[in-house]
Amino acid sequence: MSIRYVGGRVASALITIALLILINFVLFRAMPGAPERIAAGRHPGVTAETFANIRERWGLDKPVYPISIVGEPPFVEINPENQFARYIASTLTGDLGVAFSGAGQSVAEMIGAAIGPTLLLFGLGELIAIFAGLALGAYTGWRRGGAVDYVGNGVSLVLYSMPYFLIGMIMLLIFATTLGWFPTFGMTTPGEQFASPLDQLLDLLSHLVLPVATVAIGLIGQYSILMRSSVIETLGEDYVTTARAKGLRDNRILRKHAFPNALLPAVTLIAINLGYVVAGAITVEVVFNWPGLGTLTVEALEARDFPLLQGIFLLLSVAVVFANLGADFIYGYLDPRVRT
Amino acid sequence: MRSSLRTRVVRTLAAGALAIGVAVPAAFPVVAQDELILRVGTDQNLKVLNPWSSVTYADYEVYQIQYDTLVGWGPETEPIPAFAESWAPSADGLTWTFKIRSGMKWSDGTAATCEDARYTWQTVLDATAQEVTLGSDYLPPYLTSAGLKAVSCTDPQTFVVEVEFANPLILQTYVPILPAHIWSGFTLDQIGNAQAADYFKNEPPVVGTGPYVVASWESDNFVRFVRNEHYWGETGAADEVILQKFESSETMVQALKNNEVDYVRGIQPDQFDALKSEPGIKVVEGAANGYTYLAYNLYPKPIPDGGASTNALQDVAFRDALNYAIDHDELVDKVLGGYGTAGTTQVPPFHARWYVPPANPRTFDIAEAKGRLDAAGYLLDAGGKRLDKEDKPITLRMTWPSSEAELATVAEFLKEWWGELGITVQAAVTEDDTLYSLLLLPEAGGTADWDTYLWGWGGDPDPTSLLRIFTTDEIGGLNDTGYSNPEYDQLAKDQVAALEESDRKAIIAKMQEIWYRDAIYDIPYYDSELHAYRTDKFAGWRNQPSASGTPLFVFGYGGYTALTDLAAASPSPVASPSPGASAAASPEPGGGTATGGDNTMILAAGVAVVGVLAIGGIVLLRRRSSGGPAVEEDDDE
Amino acid sequence: MTTPTITASSLRAERWRLRARGARDFAGRFAKRREAVAGTIILLVFTVFALFPDFFVGPLQTAVTATGGRLDPPSVHPPLGTDNLGRDMLNRTVHGTRISMAIGLLATVVTVVIGVLVGIVSGFVGGRTDAILMRITDFFLVIPTFVLALVLAPIITDIVGPGVEVLGIRMTLIVIVIVIGITSWSSTARIVRSQTLSIRERTFVDRARAVGAGGGWIMRKHILPNVTNLIVANAVLVFAGAVLTETVLAFVGLGDPFSPSWGQTLNEAQEGGAAGLGAWWWFTPPGTCIVLVVLAFTLVGGALDDVLNPRRRARR
Repeated sequence: MSIRYVGGRVASALITIALLILINFVLFRAMPGAPERIAAGRHPGVTAETFANIRERWGLDKPVYPISIVGEPPFVEINPENQFARYIASTLTGDLGVAFSGAGQSVAEMIGAAIGPTLLLFGLGELIAIFAGLALGAYTGWRRGGAVDYVGNGVSLVLYSMPYFLIGMIMLLIFATTLGWFPTFGMTTPGEQFASPLDQLLDLLSHLVLPVATVAIGLIGQYSILMRSSVIETLGEDYVTTARAKGLRDNRILRKHAFPNALLPAVTLIAINLGYVVAGAITVEVVFNWPGLGTLTVEALEARDFPLLQGIFLLLSVAVVFANLGADFIYGYLDPRVRT
Repeated sequence: MRSSLRTRVVRTLAAGALAIGVAVPAAFPVVAQDELILRVGTDQNLKVLNPWSSVTYADYEVYQIQYDTLVGWGPETEPIPAFAESWAPSADGLTWTFKIRSGMKWSDGTAATCEDARYTWQTVLDATAQEVTLGSDYLPPYLTSAGLKAVSCTDPQTFVVEVEFANPLILQTYVPILPAHIWSGFTLDQIGNAQAADYFKNEPPVVGTGPYVVASWESDNFVRFVRNEHYWGETGAADEVILQKFESSETMVQALKNNEVDYVRGIQPDQFDALKSEPGIKVVEGAANGYTYLAYNLYPKPIPDGGASTNALQDVAFRDALNYAIDHDELVDKVLGGYGTAGTTQVPPFHARWYVPPANPRTFDIAEAKGRLDAAGYLLDAGGKRLDKEDKPITLRMTWPSSEAELATVAEFLKEWWGELGITVQAAVTEDDTLYSLLLLPEAGGTADWDTYLWGWGGDPDPTSLLRIFTTDEIGGLNDTGYSNPEYDQLAKDQVAALEESDRKAIIAKMQEIWYRDAIYDIPYYDSELHAYRTDKFAGWRNQPSASGTPLFVFGYGGYTALTDLAAASPSPVASPSPGASAAASPEPGGGTATGGDNTMILAAGVAVVGVLAIGGIVLLRRRSSGGPAVEEDDDE
Repeated sequence: MTTPTITASSLRAERWRLRARGARDFAGRFAKRREAVAGTIILLVFTVFALFPDFFVGPLQTAVTATGGRLDPPSVHPPLGTDNLGRDMLNRTVHGTRISMAIGLLATVVTVVIGVLVGIVSGFVGGRTDAILMRITDFFLVIPTFVLALVLAPIITDIVGPGVEVLGIRMTLIVIVIVIGITSWSSTARIVRSQTLSIRERTFVDRARAVGAGGGWIMRKHILPNVTNLIVANAVLVFAGAVLTETVLAFVGLGDPFSPSWGQTLNEAQEGGAAGLGAWWWFTPPGTCIVLVVLAFTLVGGALDDVLNPRRRARR
């Protein structure tokens, strides 16, 4: 991988992130409505003064942009104190602000608390899906036309067509409601004092099974289809025919030639896919009452909590940028054609 | 082969985890140790430990369990001793003297005296004087609307309160008495401004005088209370209380059935019905202290670029006629599943002492409505559209907040009924905060660009807050409709000052009469509170008030201290003596619950799916043994 | 041997003959794939439902005209049970077809139009325009589209104003269409761009330029027809994605309570606690329809792709 390649990719990523920070601010300020009204609610005793005070606390009474257009000369007014400058300054120093709806918690705190559960859920789900999906796809791609191919492909296609939350609802109905094998909500049984770390781990595991299974099942379909078509394509390449003609055993061909080459586009697409996995995150977490980023996002949206929404949005976007960057590097490493 | 080995290892691990996961629920009972834990479920946020920031029922419950108010609420919501043991007003009613309970201690062992009460109430006075918003601003009105003027302590056991005018509200203050030795070191900004850098969150261990105090919590997940060893009264059987948040009522109900939670608040009518036939679970329907309403924009002055779309809304005859075209019973049946009461006046029947039903209530009668419209001068044109007095066809916009999704159904019904009168209804949902801004009258800087909207109000222990909404002073505040009636305003002032209950009731009755006659709103229904709890762990569940309330999420902590340990009681089955609006009835015929047959079908489907996936997995594992035949490339070109 | 006279009309006729043969070839190859045929049949069935719902199940049942009791399980009548307001599930699901498909169709049109425009211009013009457009496209690829959709919905509602109907479709649904369009066009743009790049280098384009043809003319007459195959295959897959996205957005609560799209019905089922109540008939019909439609689109799209673009390489 040449320095030019690396440098180019990193520079590109940085520019994207800069753009993201900018758009992030503009987007959320464009949202209509007044968050201070949601926070204060409707209750006798809440007056116009209350709203004014809250707006002042949140800095919402300052002008939004550094420059505003006015109706008279000089037609442009400079606002030294404005929300935009405050936002840029604090983001660059890593301070994501204090959430409107958190009763004192900072955005970083709230996101920090939610990120662990989401990573756990999706990390495990993705891992299982990657291994199982890629394996299934490789097998069905290799053995095209067999019974396993049809069944596997069929099941994968069906799963690929199902929204994650539907899978979740069905899992909940079967395994939690009807059979009662697994708990129905949350990540841990709340407030319990556990006799040992092992107990705590087991409790966590029992809560983890259904949500992770939902995520994994949802993704397996995608990955197996991907891998299958990738393997099929690779198998059509000339060098595979040559290898077979030379008398190499099929297993060896698969292992040394076809599989690594088929892996390439699959890996790239998995990395790019991370962006779309987020949509699944939100709905699965809602179905299972999982205390992660998805639940946080939905609540933040309801409460028009700008700082929190901005923080989550920024985090997710930057994560996708890095994932793509990572995919670029892996690709650059694996594919000799890119090295020049 | 690298990949298959990796695959196999992962699969084995997954299978192992699955096996353990299955074994866990069997091996480990859900409740650990010999601690008796009361687990309570809610679908509201649990982010607030600092009482000044309280907004929701859940927030109030969090501080109610831990702190005493100056005066408490008994089983029928009557005033009972709490922080204060006894009290007496002066002859002119302008000074109250409270005797603070002696020997009372905070949960950290410090003595609880008058100074704590004085500090707490003085904080409100200071915030009001300096015009500082104290948290969410929900608590200060309890003191300010009682006319609080000054507080002082003549000795550690005597608390003297001066008010501007004589009124009974001083005994209904929903403000927790906070420990001065913990709180007084902070400034108003630090305790009231959640955005302040050094905001005081009141994190555990919390110091209170109530039966339980918060020992640990996870924001927006759960709050865990432990027994307060220094509590002055009889504590309840539970050693710990856990308040648990659920994302939806569905997961909450599931948890109740699976014995993962003991009490749930706020479930849906269908779930309520289904739970009635569950063994070991009791459901309770509580009358709500509040209502859902349809408001009319009757602001009397024209508003540029805004205002109602027709002047007909300002005509009481028009609004009255429209209210005849609303079938309250149907709405209760369809939207609430029968769990509610048809709406009438602005004082919910929950306030049994003050509620007076109208003498001539309106009925649902489309013909009557049409007749009244004709008589008032709103006639139909040739195309069947109702015209207003400016000869414009009447089209009413209707909206509701996105947070109250069931109001969409109410709107659908109204659209249909009013359609029969020749009035077109344009219905659309609005995001909560956009709706707030939309409703603003010119006095609050807005354009009030709406015709009708649906929302709800929640009340306080005293009906004053609900009555006050319609006064002229509240225009620009809570009075979105723009209704202004000097007679009503005067009555509102009088009822607060009336010390005799019978006088007060008469005044409030008159206010209800005026309100109903003037058709400012229509109230479709008073929604019931639907709670449910398990009967196999605790006994002594007591509704507050006994005729129409629920055990928890009421006023004070009486519901918690009344609980007894079922296991420790005599072996006779506990038949709950309290009435409540429901008993564990036999399953409804043809009702909405799934029968065993349906479950079997799902089970069969599930097994089939699992079987297919399992077959795929097994075949994969066996893949290595066979050599590979040449695959046919059927790529046509 | 006499030389045949070449006239404009005979050229046109010849072109049509070639096209007809191409179409027959395509149909033949397409029909050979069983999954493609199955997918097409499914789509036809749903299209018929979408166009004539009243014919099959009568007018849409609203809360006011509901015929059944609360949550009646399936039996002889109602065959698919009722929801919590007594509305017949079969009725609602069939009527939902029109809404879900209409949204999918409109969203696909928006997505494809934007994507093709950006892709062709970017690929053909090249240079700085290309760089800028690709930067924008990459940006949209990176944004978590779902969060973006959640945020855009209230903004757009604010801009267009609520409670109004356009072409018989409620404004809230138009908002969903716009949102899906804005968040989905970037992958189409990328695909079209890379195809444009490869076409641009072909000799007939050079020849056209040598003859003095303008950029716009070349884009319209040469590049566009050659990316059409790609667009068609891609559009079908975009449609599937649009239906799924609409479902998820409605599930989270951004749908319209008065229009029973499948996602909206699922949302109501979730809010009403269907899974916990065991009322599987509330969410299974719309769920099954979603799966069937998306599956059908995927199969057809995949087959179209294979047939129309036989040498497509899945490279970046």
